Amino acid sequence: MVDTEAQIIENKNVVLDYFLLRLKPAKTMGKIMPGQFVMLKIPGNEVFLRRPFSIYDYDMGILTIMYKVVGKGTELLSKTGKDTLTSVLGPLGNGFHVNQRDAYLTVAGGIGIAGIHFLVKSLKEKASVFFGCSSHIETALLEDIANLNPMVSTLDGSYGYKGNVVEMLKNHLETTENIDREIFVCGPEGMLKNLKTSINKNKISCQALVEERMACGLGLCFGCVKKTIDENEPYKRVCKEGPVFDLWEISL
Amino acid sequence: MGNITLKLFGKTLKNPVMNASGTLGYGKEIEPLWGVETLGCYVTKGLSMKPHHGNPLPRIWEERCGMINSIGLQNIGVERFFEEYFPFFKRKKTPIIINFFGFTEDEYIGCAQKIKPDRQIIALEMNLSCPNIKKGGISFGKEADTVYEIVRNVKAVTKIPLLAKLTPEVKNIVEIAVAAYEAGADGLTLINTIPAAVVDVNKRTVPIKGGLSGPVVRSVALRAVYECSKAVPIPVVGVGGIMDTQDAVAFLMAGAHAIQIGTATFIDPYKIPKIIEELREYLDVHGYAGIENIIGITHDQ
Ligand SMILES: Cc1cc2nc3c(=O)[nH]c(=O)nc-3n(C[C@H](O)[C@H](O)[C@H](O)COP(=O)(O)OP(=O)(O)OC[C@H]3O[C@@H](n4cnc5c(N)ncnc54)[C@H](O)[C@@H]3O)c2cc1C
Ligand SMILES: Cc1cc2nc3c(=O)[nH]c(=O)nc-3n(C[C@H](O)[C@H](O)[C@H](O)COP(=O)(O)O)c2cc1C
Ligand code: FES
Repeated sequence: MVDTEAQIIENKNVVLDYFLLRLKPAKTMGKIMPGQFVMLKIPGNEVFLRRPFSIYDYDMGILTIMYKVVGKGTELLSKTGKDTLTSVLGPLGNGFHVNQRDAYLTVAGGIGIAGIHFLVKSLKEKASVFFGCSSHIETALLEDIANLNPMVSTLDGSYGYKGNVVEMLKNHLETTENIDREIFVCGPEGMLKNLKTSINKNKISCQALVEERMACGLGLCFGCVKKTIDENEPYKRVCKEGPVFDLWEISL
Repeated sequence: MGNITLKLFGKTLKNPVMNASGTLGYGKEIEPLWGVETLGCYVTKGLSMKPHHGNPLPRIWEERCGMINSIGLQNIGVERFFEEYFPFFKRKKTPIIINFFGFTEDEYIGCAQKIKPDRQIIALEMNLSCPNIKKGGISFGKEADTVYEIVRNVKAVTKIPLLAKLTPEVKNIVEIAVAAYEAGADGLTLINTIPAAVVDVNKRTVPIKGGLSGPVVRSVALRAVYECSKAVPIPVVGVGGIMDTQDAVAFLMAGAHAIQIGTATFIDPYKIPKIIEELREYLDVHGYAGIENIIGITHDQ
């Protein structure tokens, strides 16, 4: 883990509100597990706390983040130019564990793709990719994993399956052989809840990357907790014990 | 080289810099970046007699020059702390201050009783900002007579030096400081977070009420340190919005014997070791032999 200065080498709009940020950290970030994240300083003095972002990619010393503009920090970040210097702290948290299975299903909703991408890249053909979004426009986010033939659902039916990604996954599970498989998921809380209900009958193994507001990212402040089924210690830190949790252990 | 060691309650600390309670986890979490032995003294997260789950979400919110937290004092309880974490500080020979709290007076007393003296425990720091269940949630630290009573009763059950950590949400903090001193407090920690709230204009709700910290509270903390350190003859530990070495020096000059860094660590996790290094340089550049030469220097005006 390092806290290092980093230079923005590219900050480009991919489609709609989605951006891809490439950074060159002054120090190497070491070994990274898919699902881990960084705390990024938003350049300038407007935003006080750092913001957490999944590691979308890390290759040849270049760190890539995919982000969606949702508020003040991401808005300012989207307006930050090339060559700007900032700081990144990472890699942080516990990523996905790839256990030996017959099949791996990765599931992302919208910007959730940012949390799954590095895993998909490392699993390559071994992964089936399920991506849910609003309309065909967002399929632009899948460009560099297009060779893996992601299965896409759109809410408006303009591309792929019409409906949400959890329904699409459910159909897939019902129509394919019941082999030893594991699901890796990243998306909004509503989607995780939905998924949990929909696979409840078979209790398929599932690791979920969850999000929460963070201050430190290091386990220092206890601000980012998620409620779990552990009766003695229900609140676990997303940044330290997570951000990847066993779906069956968290309360949604 | 300027000497940044100092004496506190008869023990020598290698520097006057501590973390603020609740902002450096249980200590081990920072180890991937730097070791707790760097600190003059480690201050625990607030501990209670029994483990405490803390508040539901959201627990943190960003403000313009600060943050609001509503962690609700989540902790594993004083016994588990001593079993699971204290040996780590022993091994590292790091002095430690135990911050503790209760929701009733008995809980404060019970907690203090459970902590056995040890040469590495510099002091107990009692958090007086907790809501007093019996008094309908008004904090223990708000009235001089309540402060007097609880400090005196805790003092009666422990041989470890006692720091009273005061809330700034009072009519006259000097009066409270004097009450704590007269009840036998060995030192004061000033200040805790300031009660604050946020309104979500779009949703027309108050998503969080909690304690404000960071640069936005600094001048409030500085005034408390300045006035209380002039009013009572016991050491004061200054805390609130210290973001850099300049701020740290200001607190020492205002009368703080030591300082604590909280929110700044979230902005830059290396802030504490940086400030320790820079304090040394500060003394050199300004020709002071030791840190003790600048403590309370503003009082002589
Ligand atoms: C482990 C982790 C990994 C993440 N990875 C990514 C990623 O790869 N790409 C990406 O775009 N986003 C990611 N996020 C979410 C990202 O951190 C937030 O979108 C960002 O902090 C919002 O900052 P802001 O200043 O723009 O929003 P603010 O102005 O602070 O808030 C605006 C809105 O964003 C919501 N929001 C604030 N913080 C979060 C949060 N932590 N998670 C979700 N919503 C939030 C608020 O509820 C509010 O509605 C991740 C979050 C975590 C915890
Ligand atoms: C996340 C968080 C948790 C805190 N927990 C405690 C605590 O358990 N006990 C306590 O006495 N003060 C606690 N505080 C208050 C700090 O110790 C400190 O008094 C306050 O944050 C002001 O300092 P700062 O501006 O440097 O953060 C907490 C503050 C924060 C931000
Ligand atoms: S963000 Fe501070 S503990 Fe997770």
